[in-house]
Amino acid sequence: MFEWSQEQQMVRDAVRRFVEAEIAPHVDALEHGDLPPYDIIRKLYATFGMDAVARDRFERQLARARSRRPGGGPGDRPEEAPPEKEGAGDGGAAAMTLIPIVELCRFCPGIVTAMGVSVGLAAGTIMKRGTPAQMERWGLDLLTFDKIGAWAITEPGSGSDALGGMLATARRDGEEYVLNGNKTFITNGPYADTIVFYAKLDDGSDTPVRDRQVLTFLLDRGMPGLEQSKPFRKMGLHSSPTGELFLSDVRVGRDRLLGETEEERDGGGRESAKDNFVTERAGVAAMALGVIEACLELSVAYARDRMLWGQPIGDRQLIQLKLAKMEVARLNVQNLVFRHIELSAAGKSLTLAEASAMKLYSAQAASEVAMEAVQLFGGNGYMAEYRVEQLARDAKVFQIYAGTDEIQVTHIAKDLLRR
Amino acid sequence: MNVVVCVKQIPDPAAPPALDPGTHNLVRSGKLILDDSDAYGVEMALQLVDAAGGGEVTLVSMAPNGETSGLRTALAMGAAKAILVSDETLAGSDALGTAKVLAAAIRRAEPDLVIAATESTDGYTGTTPVQVAELLGLPSVTFAKKVEVDGQTVKVERQTEAGYDEVTSPLPAVVTVTAGVVEPRYPSFKGIMAAKSKPVDTLTAADLGLDGSQVGVGGARQEIVSVVEAEARSAGEVVVDEGDAHERVIQFLEQLKIL
Repeated sequence: MFEWSQEQQMVRDAVRRFVEAEIAPHVDALEHGDLPPYDIIRKLYATFGMDAVARDRFERQLARARSRRPGGGPGDRPEEAPPEKEGAGDGGAAAMTLIPIVELCRFCPGIVTAMGVSVGLAAGTIMKRGTPAQMERWGLDLLTFDKIGAWAITEPGSGSDALGGMLATARRDGEEYVLNGNKTFITNGPYADTIVFYAKLDDGSDTPVRDRQVLTFLLDRGMPGLEQSKPFRKMGLHSSPTGELFLSDVRVGRDRLLGETEEERDGGGRESAKDNFVTERAGVAAMALGVIEACLELSVAYARDRMLWGQPIGDRQLIQLKLAKMEVARLNVQNLVFRHIELSAAGKSLTLAEASAMKLYSAQAASEVAMEAVQLFGGNGYMAEYRVEQLARDAKVFQIYAGTDEIQVTHIAKDLLRR
Repeated sequence: MNVVVCVKQIPDPAAPPALDPGTHNLVRSGKLILDDSDAYGVEMALQLVDAAGGGEVTLVSMAPNGETSGLRTALAMGAAKAILVSDETLAGSDALGTAKVLAAAIRRAEPDLVIAATESTDGYTGTTPVQVAELLGLPSVTFAKKVEVDGQTVKVERQTEAGYDEVTSPLPAVVTVTAGVVEPRYPSFKGIMAAKSKPVDTLTAADLGLDGSQVGVGGARQEIVSVVEAEARSAGEVVVDEGDAHERVIQFLEQLKIL
């Protein structure tokens, strides 16, 4: 694959038209006016029938889960879904997911983060490790975006060391659990209807906290003892509300324990957190591509139009160098995204080292391209009106969330050295 | 109810246009897209078929090199099938030549109603739809801003300079719709996936019983003799407000006979 297929271009053009008509006019309100992104995301879903597609896919996944163990009792959960058949051969389902990501990120990476965390992380975790009953109760509404999801693992004292350093606890109390702890930097935290919450099992033993089993729970907005903070002020990504969660003695039954069993299948809660790494990292590369494309287009137009000393600044070699480096980054990141789509279409997936390498490179490239775009625009680049400053602030987070650059380096190296 | 929509596939208006230096015709050898002004007709047709509770929308188009990109866009919106006339003989057709081709293709579809845009965004002759109507022997109603089908008649609100006329015509008829008659839908992802397997019947001029004396350069009665640069727009008049700006603006508008 060296370019989007005709069909993929149609999807791209349609989403681009929607983004320019329905999102671009609201970017100021989203970025500076505290307009939550959820109604716009729902409109996107309804416009392109993404909710209907999600519903169909959900029915198929549920049917598969049920057929595996009729009755869908505790401990039952679907195995990894086979690759999607639709559109196979030209990237199929992966491209259909990534194209809207690229297009949205040309204007508003925050919307993608809000959407991706709800659908990809929260719903994704439930659909992968929940029982059929849990899939029905929480999964479907998240997949269709009727409800908003959050995925709560990071704590004030632990980001990169989220699993080991986790202090949130789940204490057994008869048939129930009592949950306590604080979570922070939680995307959609302030508005989430459903929260996928990670905590360490406190079974009264003297196992050191670091080594305790990690359990995953499904919480609803408004449960007694659960408090969701207001959105944080951040450097960028203002379209994606981020907040804290405070849990004090939140009582939950086993029906809210993901998989409805403490039994550690495929590594349990720890692995459940890691399940998402590959998809999430590939998604960040697509986000980076959108930012790079937008910055490059804006920069080329500006280099042509902006006159200094009687000639367009594009005639100057120092400006040309910036444009050339941006184009190199665009080609590289696009190729990485295309490779991921090709692999998915062939029913294969990236290794952890590959996904991490892809994310590391794309995040740095987007950040660098966007900052260079600001530089190319000079004083105008520092002004919100010219858009590149927002993209630069937004792109910085690609090097921090979904695993920092430094964590990606260690994941790549460890994976290589382990072989 | 079966509706035919005439759609044109044009060079992307966002890309710089080029004229053939010999014929002065627009160069159409690159990728073509659905003319934006046709999206309104497609949407109108889809809504009318929905309201009628049955039937389908068929697209009719004439384009070089078997081009279907623009047709796929309209098929993704929900049209059921397309008839594409593509043939080297057709190169250099004037508006009437194009109308002959479209009329012959439309006849095959036996529609209850034919919808077209008032004019294309690349050629702007605005004559083809009425020529099609004449060739088919059908009534034509132009500049529709509202269209309703009631049994065997079509009721149209026809945009005029002063307001609109209410026109009723028996079916079948040819109706041209203005931009803004309806809000064109975005194609859904499912619609885009389905579009590639919808039938596009590709025909030649000969298939329609037409030859080089009727269509293409040979049949054209219209010729572009020369093309000149548009005159640069002259600078406007700046009114500096010295307390009487409103009077001068009113005078200006009166001169233009707007007030």
